[in-house]
Amino acid sequence: MIYFATFFSHFGAMRYKILCQQQQIVCRTMPVPRGLSSSCGTCVRCEERWLPVQGSDAEDLEQVAAWDGKTFTVVYHT
Amino acid sequence: MNTKKERIHIIVAGLIIGVISALLVFFGNPANMGFCIACFLRDTAGALGLHKAAPVQYIRPEIIGLVLGSFVMALARREFAPKGGSAPLTRFVLGFFVMIGCLMFLGCPFRMILRLAGGDLNALVGLVGFVLGILVGVFFLKKGYSLKRTYAMPKLEGFLFPAIQVVVFVLLVVAPAFIYFSEAGAGPGAKHAAIAISLVAGLIVGALAQRTRLCMVGGIRDAVLFRESKLLLGFVAIFLSALISNLILNVATDATYFKLGFEGQAVAHTDWLWNGLGMLLVGFGCVLLGGCPLRQLVLSGEGNSDSAVTVLGLVVGAAFAHNFGLASSADGPTSAGKIAVLIGIAVVALIGCLNTFKKKA
Repeated sequence: MIYFATFFSHFGAMRYKILCQQQQIVCRTMPVPRGLSSSCGTCVRCEERWLPVQGSDAEDLEQVAAWDGKTFTVVYHT
Repeated sequence: MNTKKERIHIIVAGLIIGVISALLVFFGNPANMGFCIACFLRDTAGALGLHKAAPVQYIRPEIIGLVLGSFVMALARREFAPKGGSAPLTRFVLGFFVMIGCLMFLGCPFRMILRLAGGDLNALVGLVGFVLGILVGVFFLKKGYSLKRTYAMPKLEGFLFPAIQVVVFVLLVVAPAFIYFSEAGAGPGAKHAAIAISLVAGLIVGALAQRTRLCMVGGIRDAVLFRESKLLLGFVAIFLSALISNLILNVATDATYFKLGFEGQAVAHTDWLWNGLGMLLVGFGCVLLGGCPLRQLVLSGEGNSDSAVTVLGLVVGAAFAHNFGLASSADGPTSAGKIAVLIGIAVVALIGCLNTFKKKA
């Protein structure tokens, strides 16, 4: 499974990517897929698992959606 | 998540938008100005009496159409989402100075492409400045620039900007005495396609831009940040289809739609330094805003009140530019305009620095 985390700001995506990398989650930043949002911002694509965050780290996190190869399923939303 | 399909969508949208842009000139818009968000907001500001430059006063239905086209598409696809609260006044100031940069160059990024497609090589200098400005903006993004998050807003907040467009459209059609329109032959404001044609063109482009997230700044930004060329393809498609349409119109009609060179271009000047610096300011400011002026209009239609505030900044910037002699003309830039662009670059850089902080974690 692939997870896409979207954010309210580019900075939020950068910060989340660093947090994921610290937890050895394979991830990268990329433009938000059109099927997920009309926003043209930055998302973080996580392979196999995503990182739940809390407090100030969660401030910029908008949603996390799982991609099964066909459809997106929202697994977290603010 | 079909990337190939997304690419095809944006290329097709770009091709359609390029053709529409060329046809708008055929139907009466100024040369190389089928669309120009900066020029059209400036004309609308003049029509509403916010500036008194008689040659550039007309309520442009294309702007109204862009917002309403995006609005309808967003509603239809259940993507209309009122939100805002991300540093609105900062966005207003950025919008203000982006307009100062646009009116130094005489066009927004959209018109820059259309000027290139019309053979205006001055736009090539503008493109270099534009790319440099985007690179500076991307530097700040990489360093942690942020205007902080947006928040969900009440429905009314999202409906207001499209509603304002309807009111402005009524003013255009009714044309009461307090609305100013450039007299025939007075300048670019007097040149326009029929209202219905302009409105429909705006509606189509607005809907397509909402659907594809087309953005003149986003294309280059994503290519630099993520090596992702999707948005850039739309940019290229608009250029190619407008270029081919112009060449066809050149042959099929008596008017000139394509003229290669620097000299004698329509609504343009040849001062390379200030063409470049004007667009550098535009590229830099737009990256910090998160999108070009076209994208700001489209987002306003989707219910984003931050983008609506940015558009208001653009409008006020246009009014200032013409009230205080900051806007360039075919004769070249003004001294006041040069000072304003330098101040603009300094202010945008300051905003960038003050909103960039070290990454935590």
